[in-house]
Amino acid sequence: MPRRPLLFSLLLLFSFLLLVACSVHDQGYSLPAQHPPEADLGRNRPTCTDCHEERGGPLAFADFNHTAYFAESHRNAAGRNVQVCNMCHQPSFCNTCHATGIELKPSVKNQSDTYSRTPHHGDYLSRHRIDGRIDPGSCFRCHGNPKAARTCAPCHG
Amino acid sequence: MNSPCGKLVRRFGFLCGVCGLLLSAPTVAGAMEVRLNSQTLLLFMQRNTSTSADASVIPLYEYLQADIGARSTRGLSFHFYGWAREDLNDSDYYKDNPDGELLYGYLNYSRPFNNLNLRLGRQYVIGGLANNSIDGLSLQTDLGPDFVLSIYGGLPVAFDTTAGRSGDSIFGGRLVWHSDSLHEVGLSYQKTSNDGSTEDQRLGLDLTLALPAGVNLSGRSTYNLESDGFGENFYEARFALSDFNFRTFFENYTYADYFAPGKQTPNPFYVLNRGGEAQTNFGGDVVWRMSSDWEFGAKTKFYTYDVNSSSAAYYSGLITWHGQDLTQIGGEVGTMQGDAADNKYILSRAFFYWDRPAGLPLAFISGDLLYAAYDQPIYGQDNSFFASLGAGQRFLDDRLELKLSGDYSSDPYFDSDLRTMLVANYRFDY
Repeated sequence: MPRRPLLFSLLLLFSFLLLVACSVHDQGYSLPAQHPPEADLGRNRPTCTDCHEERGGPLAFADFNHTAYFAESHRNAAGRNVQVCNMCHQPSFCNTCHATGIELKPSVKNQSDTYSRTPHHGDYLSRHRIDGRIDPGSCFRCHGNPKAARTCAPCHG
Repeated sequence: MNSPCGKLVRRFGFLCGVCGLLLSAPTVAGAMEVRLNSQTLLLFMQRNTSTSADASVIPLYEYLQADIGARSTRGLSFHFYGWAREDLNDSDYYKDNPDGELLYGYLNYSRPFNNLNLRLGRQYVIGGLANNSIDGLSLQTDLGPDFVLSIYGGLPVAFDTTAGRSGDSIFGGRLVWHSDSLHEVGLSYQKTSNDGSTEDQRLGLDLTLALPAGVNLSGRSTYNLESDGFGENFYEARFALSDFNFRTFFENYTYADYFAPGKQTPNPFYVLNRGGEAQTNFGGDVVWRMSSDWEFGAKTKFYTYDVNSSSAAYYSGLITWHGQDLTQIGGEVGTMQGDAADNKYILSRAFFYWDRPAGLPLAFISGDLLYAAYDQPIYGQDNSFFASLGAGQRFLDDRLELKLSGDYSSDPYFDSDLRTMLVANYRFDY
């Protein structure tokens, strides 16, 4: 057997055993599957730090405060710990925006929910010409694959 | 099956399928926790199609979600979400689009021990570099109190439209080291292949650190292993002072490394990885909760470029009054000020949502107004106006909600566009 694959296999085996050893050592904080229902969150955007400490406990709750701009700035917090999101939101909630193909844009699918600051509100087709020139990365994050870019295809090919 | 008779049969079958599933739910639910959410939307609008102008387009959408099994506790469960559409007027407006899609359908197994979570099937994976829909397997587990490991692999759903699925693959993972909420450092890797060739391969670093004075620093960097360069660096600091929540951020994108150079990168993005451009943005926002009723916000974002000598800035402010439950009245004004005249606009929005209006037999009334003014006309028009009015009522202990809304838009793309929508949301819990 050649040396390199053998070394790689041994390294992989060692890493796996190390991970198994770590996993049986001790348990960390276990998130509940759902936010406790007895803590009535109401129907408005929740401010986690109204009840929880900002940090110091198991979670940095301040990162998940649903401020007026949270819809635009939740990427970092959700990308690190999506399980926190899942305590209140079903994956289908995320799929309203994050999906390979949902066809209806969020502000149309939930048109009468005017309290939610959904992206692409109103006549975004006109504004996207400017936003796309200035910050194409913001488009790419959601439309940067062949399926999600179907909405771009009629004009952009 | 494309004959009028065939379409009628297909349409009837579509409606029967949805109704049958909803009606049979109580029987199925006898043995386990079941939750069904059905959102049925009927739109009416006029659009130009390839064969006629101002053709009536009447799409009927069904978005169906099912969650079966352990929901409030951990254990085995099945989750499904998908949609289908049928144009009741048989126009060819949607001829290039699929008639539906399975967004997810997976078996989930979770245990409290080590926060073990195992998913098999179509799922959306989020975490570190991952922001993908896959057909495959994902696993997440704690490794003791300080480490978390997540791995996933399978077929990338986004690539199934071209040349089939042969040779397509996606796999990756993330290892996190954390100490309660004081710090967290994640290392992630993702590789996608299309038709047997590597499409994209990246390394990611994400972190959050608790700094003195209650400042929280977090961010991420992404390294493109195919082009050997950092594609993205994004870092933000958040802190609170009394009733004010502050956030400042800095982000940098190197186009050649950020816009994936693979052949699957769609238009209009694939051209961006040529030309050596890099973009740096910075800015911040502040939200002031003056009281439980009043909320104020302000935001600014500056855009600069390495190659393009122009720059841009966005400024906005918002105000919201909160009443009982979801009752709200709010407004927002923003302006994009690019160096170039065609990169300037002013945007204003006002909205209201009246929850459980007293004296009216309705669950809510809502309205939305949006006006944008463009410095340079787009297709000969330098402004756009959008208005929406909606109302709804709930029945069967709020399990069934009916909503009716009408939208009007006058903008560079539509002289005068009227769209109406009827929505029926049905929720079944057992």
